[in-house]
Amino acid sequence: MGGYELYLIPGFPLIASLLIAALLLRRGERVAPFALIAALLGSLSLSVWALSLTEGHRSFSTALTWLHVGSITLEAGILIDGLSSIMMIVVCTVSLLVQIYSIGYMKGEAGYGRYFAYMSLFSGSMLGLVISDNIAQTYIFWELVGICSYLLIGFWYRRPCAAAAAKKAFVVTRFGDLGFLTAILILSFQSHGILGPHAVFGFRPLEHLVGAGAMGPTIVTVVALLLFCGAVGKSAQFPLHIWLPDAMEGPTPVSALIHAATMVAAGVYLVARCYFFFAAAPIALFVVAIIGLATLFFAASMGVAENDIKRVLAYSTISQLGYMMLALGVGGYTAGFFHLTTHAFFKALLFLTAGSVIHSVHTNDMWQMGGLGRRMPITAITCLVGALALAGIPPLSGFWSKDEILAAVWFSAIPGGKIIFAFALAGVVLTAFYMFRLWFVTFTGAPRTEMAAHAHESPLVMTIPLLVLATLVVVAGGLKAYVPWASGGIAEVIRFGHGEDRASSVVMAASMVVAVIGIAVAWAAYRASVISPAAFNARFPAVYHLLKNAWYFNRAWELFATHVVIAGARLAAWFDRHVVNGMVDGVAWISGWIANRLRLAQTGQMQFYALVFVIALIAGLIVVFGRDQSLLTLVMRRP
Amino acid sequence: MTAAVTHQLQSGAFWYLFAFACLAAGVLIPGLLVVLSRNLLHSALWLLPCLVSVAGLFLLLGAELLAAVQILVYCGGIVVLILFAVMLTHGLGHADIRVVNQQLLWGVIGAAALAGVVLHLLSRQMWPIGSATAPADVTGRLAEALLSPYVLAFEVASVVLLVAMVGAIVIARAEPE
Amino acid sequence: MTSAPLIPIHSYLVVSVLLFAIGLIGVFTRRNAIAVLLSIELMLNAANINFVAFWRYSGGAQMEGQVFAIAIITVAAAEAAIALAIILNVYRRFRTVNVDQINLMKG
Repeated sequence: MGGYELYLIPGFPLIASLLIAALLLRRGERVAPFALIAALLGSLSLSVWALSLTEGHRSFSTALTWLHVGSITLEAGILIDGLSSIMMIVVCTVSLLVQIYSIGYMKGEAGYGRYFAYMSLFSGSMLGLVISDNIAQTYIFWELVGICSYLLIGFWYRRPCAAAAAKKAFVVTRFGDLGFLTAILILSFQSHGILGPHAVFGFRPLEHLVGAGAMGPTIVTVVALLLFCGAVGKSAQFPLHIWLPDAMEGPTPVSALIHAATMVAAGVYLVARCYFFFAAAPIALFVVAIIGLATLFFAASMGVAENDIKRVLAYSTISQLGYMMLALGVGGYTAGFFHLTTHAFFKALLFLTAGSVIHSVHTNDMWQMGGLGRRMPITAITCLVGALALAGIPPLSGFWSKDEILAAVWFSAIPGGKIIFAFALAGVVLTAFYMFRLWFVTFTGAPRTEMAAHAHESPLVMTIPLLVLATLVVVAGGLKAYVPWASGGIAEVIRFGHGEDRASSVVMAASMVVAVIGIAVAWAAYRASVISPAAFNARFPAVYHLLKNAWYFNRAWELFATHVVIAGARLAAWFDRHVVNGMVDGVAWISGWIANRLRLAQTGQMQFYALVFVIALIAGLIVVFGRDQSLLTLVMRRP
Repeated sequence: MTAAVTHQLQSGAFWYLFAFACLAAGVLIPGLLVVLSRNLLHSALWLLPCLVSVAGLFLLLGAELLAAVQILVYCGGIVVLILFAVMLTHGLGHADIRVVNQQLLWGVIGAAALAGVVLHLLSRQMWPIGSATAPADVTGRLAEALLSPYVLAFEVASVVLLVAMVGAIVIARAEPE
Repeated sequence: MTSAPLIPIHSYLVVSVLLFAIGLIGVFTRRNAIAVLLSIELMLNAANINFVAFWRYSGGAQMEGQVFAIAIITVAAAEAAIALAIILNVYRRFRTVNVDQINLMKG
C-alpha cells in the first residue's frame, strides 16, 4: 500500500475544477456540476477507506519532496489519522449535498459554470488543507480556501455590496493570516538544525520536538498564540468576526458550505491539529478559551437583533465556533471536534433551508415572510430539525456535542471556570431564543406579504439534500463513538482538565432546561404574542441599540483603520520621502557638490592646462627618479 | 664636472670652449629676449639670432647638413612666416597693456622647477663618452639613413608637409561672403 | 669639423634644458598667441640640441639622432604653418589673439 492514491482525495475536486474551466470555454456548462459531484463521490469513498485505515488509533503519513531552498524543504504530504479522516468525510458529505442542492438553486444564473468551477476549487483546497501533514502546506491551502471564499462571496460581482463584502472578508482574514505566517517563519528558524539540517514543518516531527522540550516555553507560547491569530481570522472569532455577517452576500449554498460547515471550521481544525503547541503553553490555551467565550456570547447577543435570516445564521455560526474554541481551550479536545462535525451538518442544513425559503420568497427579511410552514412543509420540518439541534435538544446530535462542551467546561481546572460555565449556559439560552425567533417568524403565523402568500415548495433537487442532512443531523449523535480516534497522537491530557468523556447528569439537565426556556421565551414573544418585543425595546433602548449595531465593532475597526493604520502609513510615507529618497537625493547632491568644486579646474585657459601638465610631469619625475634611479639605465635599457 | 673639464683641456680646446660659450650665449640670451620683449615684432626678430646660434651649435657638434637645414628652414622659412603673421595681426598689439597673463608667478616657478629637477638628475649621472674623433662622411651617412632604414619617415614627412600646406590654406581661407 | 669633443656632454644638455625652460616660461606667460608660438619654437630647438648632442657623444655612428632632428624641423615647419592659419581664423572670429581671452572650453 503506497498510499499515494490518497493524494486523490483533494486531487479529484481540483482536477474537476480544471475540467470545468475547460468545459466553460466550450459552453458545456450543464455538465459542470456532475463533474464535481463525481469527483466528490470519489473523494468521499477514498475518505471512508482512509478512515478504515485508522482503526485502533493508527495513523500514517507519506510525503513527496517538492522544493528545496537552502535549509528549507517543502514537502507535499498527507497525514491520515482520526482527526483528518473524519474531517474529510464531513467535508465531502456536506460539499456533495450542497452541490446537488446548487443545481437547483443556481439554475438559470449567469455564471453557472463559473460557480461550480470555484466550488470544486474550494472543495479540493479544503480537502488539501485537512489532509496536509505539514504546516507550510496547510498554509498554502489555507490561503487557497481564502481566495475561493473571496471569489464566491463576490460571485455576483456587479453588486457593490457583494464586492465590498468579498474584499472585507479577504482583508480581515488576511490580517489574521499574518499571525499564522509569522508562526511558520518562527518555526522555520527555531526548528532548523534540531532534527537535521533542514527546518521542520511536519506535524508529527514538530509534535515530538515540542514534547521533548526542544523549543523554549516562550517560543512555544508565541507560536501557539500566532497560530491562534490565523484561526481567529478564519473562524471569525472576536475581534475579527466582522466579515462573516457581510459574507452572506454570496449565494446561499456558498454560505452553507464555506461559511458554516467547512472553511470557518478550518480555524478550529488548525488549533486541533497543532494542539501539542497549546498543550505545552497553558497561557495560549487560556487565551483560546476566553476568546471563544467572548465570541460565543457576543455573537449570540447580536443574532437576537437581526432581521435578515442569513445574518442570524451567520451570527449563530460565529457563536457556535466560539463554543468549539472554548472547548479546545478548556481541554475538551474531543468535545470541540465533535461539535465541529455535528455543527457542520445542522448549520449546513439550516442554511440550505434558508436558501430554499429565499429562493421562493425572493427576500431575506424574515418580517416579509410568515406562514411558510403550510406552503413549504419539507423546508419547514427540516429547518425545525436543524433548529432543535442547534438549540441542543436531545436526542439530536447537537445536544450531545454541546453537552460535552459544557461538561468539559464544568470539569475543567481553568481559572474562573464556573463563571465561564455560567456565560456558556447563557449563550445556550440566547441561541435557542434567536433560532426559534427566526423559525416562528418565518414559518408560522400569517403571511405578511404577497410573495409569502404565494410561496411554493422547492424542487426535489433541493429538498432531497435537505432530507438527507436532516437524517444525518439526527443520527450523527452516534458519531461520538468514532471521535475518540481523533485524539490519537495527543500524548498527554490537557492541564486544564480531565474534560474528556466525563458525563454529568447535572450539566445535561441544566442545558436541556435552559434550551427549553429559550424556546419558550421565543414562542411567547413571536408566536403567542404574550411578550411584546417592541415594548421591551422601548424599555431598554440602550440594549436594543447595542445589539442592533452589533456592539459597534464595525465602527471600532473603521476608526482603527482610519486613525491607526493611516497614521502608520503616513509615517512610512514620510520615511520613504525623506529618508530613502533623501539618501538618493543626497548622493546626487554630493555628486553635484564635488562636480562644482572640480569644475573650477576647467578654466578654459590653455596656458593653465599646460602648467598643470608640467607640474604633473615634475611630480612624476620626482616619484620615478627620487630613489637614485638612474636615468640612463631606465631609458637606455642597454648593458 | 669641472674635473672632467680640466682633464680634457688641450691646446685647441680653448677655442672650442670659447666658440661654445659664444654660441650658448647666442642661444640663451636672444631666447630670453624672445620671451621677455613687450613688442611682438621684436620677439619675432630676436628669434633669428637664437636660431642661427643653434645652427652654430650643430656645426660645433659636426652635423653640417643639419646646420644648413636649420638655417634654411627655420630661419629662412619659419621666422619669415611668423613675421608675416605678426604684420597681419599687428594692429592689435598696441592696445594691450599687459603682455603677460595672470599666471606669471606660477609659470616661472613651474618652468624653473622643471629645469631644476632635470638638471639635478643630469648632474648625478655620468654619461658614457663616445670616441674622441668625429665620424667621417656624416652627410653621406645621414643620406643613407634617410633613404634606407628611415625612408618611410622621410616619405611621410613629405606627406605631412603637403597636408599642412593644404590645411593651412583651407583654414586660413576667408569665409565666403 | 672633426675635432674631438673636448667638453663633457653636460654642457650641451644644460644649454638644452635652459633653452627649454625659457621656452616654457614663454608658453606659460605670454598673452599673444604668436608669442606662444615663438616660445614653442624655442622648445623644439632645445630638443634638437639634445638630440644632436647625444648623437655626437655616442660615437656618431648611429644616425638616429640626426634623423630625428630633421624630422623635428620638418614637423615644426608644418606646425608653424597650421598654427598661424588657425591664429588668423581665431582673429577673425574673436577679434583678438590673446590666448587668455579665448576660453570657450571653460566649465
